[in-house]
Amino acid sequence: MFSISVFLESFGPLFWAARYTLLISVLGIGLGLVIGTLICAARLSPYVWLRRFAMLWVSFLRGVPLLVQLLVFYYTLPVIGLDVPAMVAAVVTVGICASAYISEIWRGAIAALPKGQAEAAIAIGMTPQDVWIRVILPQAFNLSLPALINELILLVKASSLVSVVGILEITRASQAQAATTFRPLEVYIAAACIYLLINLCLAVLGRYLEHRTAI
Amino acid sequence: MVSASSVEIRKVNKHYGTFHALKDIDLVIPPGKVTCLIGPSGSGKSTLLRCVNFLEEYDSGEVLIDGTMIGYEAPGKKMPGRKLREMRRSIGMVFQQFNLWPHMTARENVAEGLIRVRGLSKSEAHRRAADALAKVGLADKMANHPSRLSGGQQQRVAIARAIAMEPRLMLFDEPTSALDPELVGEVLNVMKTLASEGMTMVVVTHEMGFAAHVADQVVFMEKGELVGVDSPDRILHHPEDARIQSFLRTYHERNSF
Amino acid sequence: MDWSILQQYGPGLLSGFGTTILCWLLGTVFGMALGLVLALAQRYGARWLNRVIQVYVEIIRGTPFLVQLFVLYYGGPLVGLRLDALPAGLLGLTVYGSPYFAEIFRSGFRAVPHGQIEAARAIGMTEASIVRRILLPLGLVSSLPALVNFSIILTKETVILSIITVPELMYQVQRMSTETFRYLEANLVLALFFWALVEAISNAGRWLEARITKHLVERT
Repeated sequence: MFSISVFLESFGPLFWAARYTLLISVLGIGLGLVIGTLICAARLSPYVWLRRFAMLWVSFLRGVPLLVQLLVFYYTLPVIGLDVPAMVAAVVTVGICASAYISEIWRGAIAALPKGQAEAAIAIGMTPQDVWIRVILPQAFNLSLPALINELILLVKASSLVSVVGILEITRASQAQAATTFRPLEVYIAAACIYLLINLCLAVLGRYLEHRTAI
Repeated sequence: MVSASSVEIRKVNKHYGTFHALKDIDLVIPPGKVTCLIGPSGSGKSTLLRCVNFLEEYDSGEVLIDGTMIGYEAPGKKMPGRKLREMRRSIGMVFQQFNLWPHMTARENVAEGLIRVRGLSKSEAHRRAADALAKVGLADKMANHPSRLSGGQQQRVAIARAIAMEPRLMLFDEPTSALDPELVGEVLNVMKTLASEGMTMVVVTHEMGFAAHVADQVVFMEKGELVGVDSPDRILHHPEDARIQSFLRTYHERNSF
Repeated sequence: MDWSILQQYGPGLLSGFGTTILCWLLGTVFGMALGLVLALAQRYGARWLNRVIQVYVEIIRGTPFLVQLFVLYYGGPLVGLRLDALPAGLLGLTVYGSPYFAEIFRSGFRAVPHGQIEAARAIGMTEASIVRRILLPLGLVSSLPALVNFSIILTKETVILSIITVPELMYQVQRMSTETFRYLEANLVLALFFWALVEAISNAGRWLEARITKHLVERT
């Protein structure tokens, strides 16, 4: 039988562990934004080698399962002499993986802007830098906000995989909880509820932002 | 030619929310005749036409095809889908946007209804489809997909699709409005041929020339109301109602240069 | 390179590869089938059914696949659902994919112009015929790129099945690497393998799409 009390009691430790889920997701998307912007710039640059590198980067990270990426980075770091905590490795992996998707989100948003806008800006004598900074990027950012929130939701879910390298986020905590209570059903459903709660909040935030920036 | 249907429209009303799209429409469409519906856009003429085969549901009143009400068994009581489909079998419809099925060739488009609705064998359906396509002058385009046909050819396939079902009534919803001007003639010619064979036809159109030469009666609508029903000559050349006069004045100004 | 490793682990890797492909194919096919049923139910079903499906979609899309697997595989026995790892994994993939597939089909159906449905109604076709002859073929074609895209995502999700001990490729590679201590090499090879697989599937998808839409594109 489904035990309501076990279910409810699981929430305490799992909420505590949710800090790490959120931390990894938010830091991951922050890192992903930085790297993703650079990759997108490389992709749109006039240098063919930079473009090729960016394409390879995106293709590789989108072609390889996150779990495999995670293990590759996790095992690579000590080999190249970087002895970092598992937490750092996790954030770096999640961020690098997100960068591929974020650079594509940027690229899509920039491509979606009417060409005439840049032309109009050039026509009134703006420099190319001004065109990017004043006209293209602000609009691209607004356009891609919903997609970025969506990416954050994906990262919250993907962060469950870092449990395999021993980080005590929601999923790992629920495994521990399930092992001590011998009630995996209740515990894992509680974990699912917490993920659902986080993601619903993010979805609401996304809709609000979309609404606010709608032109 | 098979027998031709008559249509009787009695006190038909239609609302979209608070918008009153059709206001107490009364109209008799005699069998074997061509009736053209004209009027400014938004006047309700397409809506009225779509009520005749119940693609558009009217709120009150009656639309009778050969004396049988379509869509409802009694006021407020919808007719079962099977009966509605049976009535629609004898009503052909041609749309402004052709609405051919893009994944089928011209011949398959025409044969589809014969197979699924009339229950003909595939070979018989394809034979009749070929006949219908020959009739609209497209015998050589049977194997083409719609994407490989011009707009005028697509609309002729759509007409063939409708007449292959051997309807007793044909509805045309602005059949030439989506066509480039040079392709309008070929479609109107096919429609003239049909008219000369004694098919009952109801045509919503902006082609005043077609209405003047082919129609037996012309109906003028504005703002959901039926303003005038009369011979083409009386409506198009000697209109008495100021609203018709003003519509025709605008029409002539636009089409002269 | 030490070839004896390959000799020792070759058969395991090969069967892992087979299991991965099996999971991907069956997961895609079953997930698509369930998604199609959901999409049709949402289009033609009663309003309450629509609500129920909407809640199901939100729950599955709002939770991690791994947690769904845990609920199913470790929690299932508590309510009498005892499944081996592989069937549990397949069921998990099916459930996980279904709302995404349903969403893809729903927007594919929306892309079918309403006039083409009306034209079928006007000649008296039954709704069942319309679904089978008009809505499905046209809706599937416009869903194709998204379907390929999502089946690629599923390819990558199959590795998560290793965590509940489904003996697919990832599982076999981990077993091999813990025994040989070649963690990095093993995982790098695995990464390259998936990269190649995903590229191959997306190329095949593009080819298929070009072939199928040949007739549907206006000649210019």
